[in-house]
Amino acid sequence: MADEIQQAASKALMREMGLDEANIERRKKIVGFEASDVPRIAAIRDLVTQHTDDYVTTFFNHLSGLDDARSLIASRAIAERARQLKREHLVAMVQGEYGMKYVEQRIELGTLYAKAGLDARVFLGAFHQLLKHIGSAVMKQVDRKPLDGFESFMSLKKIAFFDIGLIVDVLVFERERVIRQQQESIRELSTPVLQIRERLLLLPIIGVIDTQRARLITESLLRSIRANRAKVVVMDITGVATIDSKVSNHLLQTVTAARLMGAHVIVTGLSAEVAQSLVALGIELSKLNTVGDLQGGLEEAERILGYRVLTTATDAGPAPEGS
Amino acid sequence: MSAEVSVPIERDADIVTARQEGRQLAAAAGFSSADQTIIALAISEITRNIVSYAQRGKVTLSRMDEGGRRGILIVAQDDGPGIPDIDLAMRDGYSTAKSLGVGLPGARRVMDEFELVSALGKGTTVTMKKWLR
Amino acid sequence: MSVPILKQGDVLIASIQAALSDRELAQLHDAFADQVGRFRSRGVIIDVTALDVLDSFATRTLRSIAYTAKLRGANAVVVGIQPDVAFAMVQLGLSLEGVATALDLEEGLAYIRDVAKRGSHRVR
Repeated sequence: MADEIQQAASKALMREMGLDEANIERRKKIVGFEASDVPRIAAIRDLVTQHTDDYVTTFFNHLSGLDDARSLIASRAIAERARQLKREHLVAMVQGEYGMKYVEQRIELGTLYAKAGLDARVFLGAFHQLLKHIGSAVMKQVDRKPLDGFESFMSLKKIAFFDIGLIVDVLVFERERVIRQQQESIRELSTPVLQIRERLLLLPIIGVIDTQRARLITESLLRSIRANRAKVVVMDITGVATIDSKVSNHLLQTVTAARLMGAHVIVTGLSAEVAQSLVALGIELSKLNTVGDLQGGLEEAERILGYRVLTTATDAGPAPEGS
Repeated sequence: MSAEVSVPIERDADIVTARQEGRQLAAAAGFSSADQTIIALAISEITRNIVSYAQRGKVTLSRMDEGGRRGILIVAQDDGPGIPDIDLAMRDGYSTAKSLGVGLPGARRVMDEFELVSALGKGTTVTMKKWLR
Repeated sequence: MSVPILKQGDVLIASIQAALSDRELAQLHDAFADQVGRFRSRGVIIDVTALDVLDSFATRTLRSIAYTAKLRGANAVVVGIQPDVAFAMVQLGLSLEGVATALDLEEGLAYIRDVAKRGSHRVR
């Protein structure tokens, strides 16, 4: 059961990393793997499979001597699983089949290393020890024909480098994932959509707006409109540093998209300077419902929603500018 | 090799098939649902161009993987009359026939790469790419 | 597949359930044009909740239905445009200018009632 979950996770990661058959074939080409390598590896198959446990021990002994690998060795559950996978790895390495299934197993082990926080350089060190051990055994066995032994070992090494490529990529990918997630949460923090009242959302926009951010703002606003069944959105741009034609275009797109969903958008916080520069630039903002400040915008929103504002003597909110 | 789908475009109903195939492929390639919709919409526009002007053609959809960069490749081909003035056709709001004139320039705007090759009397090929961010 | 048009009081409602070809959209347009006059409807609601794409042809047809309805004395409102669909439309440069929109069917009906009460044809 746990295995199945793990397998599904490995498969998903492979998709994310773009590890399909074409990619795997390219990776084989990169390490120079050819059909002629298969019989050479087969020649040392028994030698490797008969001593799997020794090689696994070599690998983990090397790691236990290193402070940098403590996190992998310290957790019994992780270490046990890693041993088991390493054993399977060594057997698979000499079977001559290096397709999706083989890669999936490598990915699972790589994910385990990533989870344990194992650095690529530490893994490389231990893996090299293991290869050295296999190399010596091969050379000992084939003492009559050293060239054959060397060739077999070099063929196996191609697979070893193929494996290293995969493991290092998993480690890098997982590390980048953390960075991506952090960036994602920073972005989300920077584009809050607040529900002020039933059916009324406030979208304060602060800072610099580029294409990417405008996209995120629009996407999150549209989702919020649906989730909150919003009818009116007050978009406050007091905190927007500069508004040029590009930025105003982005804002206009956001407003248009919200309207398509049936929400009415009121733009507030357009300073006199910004308004003047927009006019000077010839930017079309007549399509926008603008209200001077946030308070006025909220009052206008409440009026549209049918609330009666009782804070002033008159019960009609301030007239919207430019409409 | 990775999946490649080819949809013949001969009638207006084929436009729907093409964009549904495109959405599926985009989903499998890992595009967000917003991007899937954008890709489906762009496919809708370029295939409608075939139905409106060339009557018959085909669109081929495939996934791309170029040195770690992944995305979707869309190629729409027809052997219709060709477009006499490409610059004009790519201008917002321009249309000679039934479409609204935002189709091609709109598709160009939302894709990462867009190329239109047309030879009078021989046909038109639109190649579009969108990369996974 | 053609889209059934329901008549509820003086409002006509079409809920589009699956992706439509251009021809089917054009048929919907004709059916509305015919029925608005026949039933002397006051409002027309087109529910596009189930659509995952609104392209230039669909946009143009919706706009045309709204204009035709207005010429025959009915207000039209398009309801249920999904977030992703709205987003893709603005990215591509498509809009429904001059056509009223509402979040869903319920809001659409409220809009039609509202306009009828005010006796005007104000469009957002």
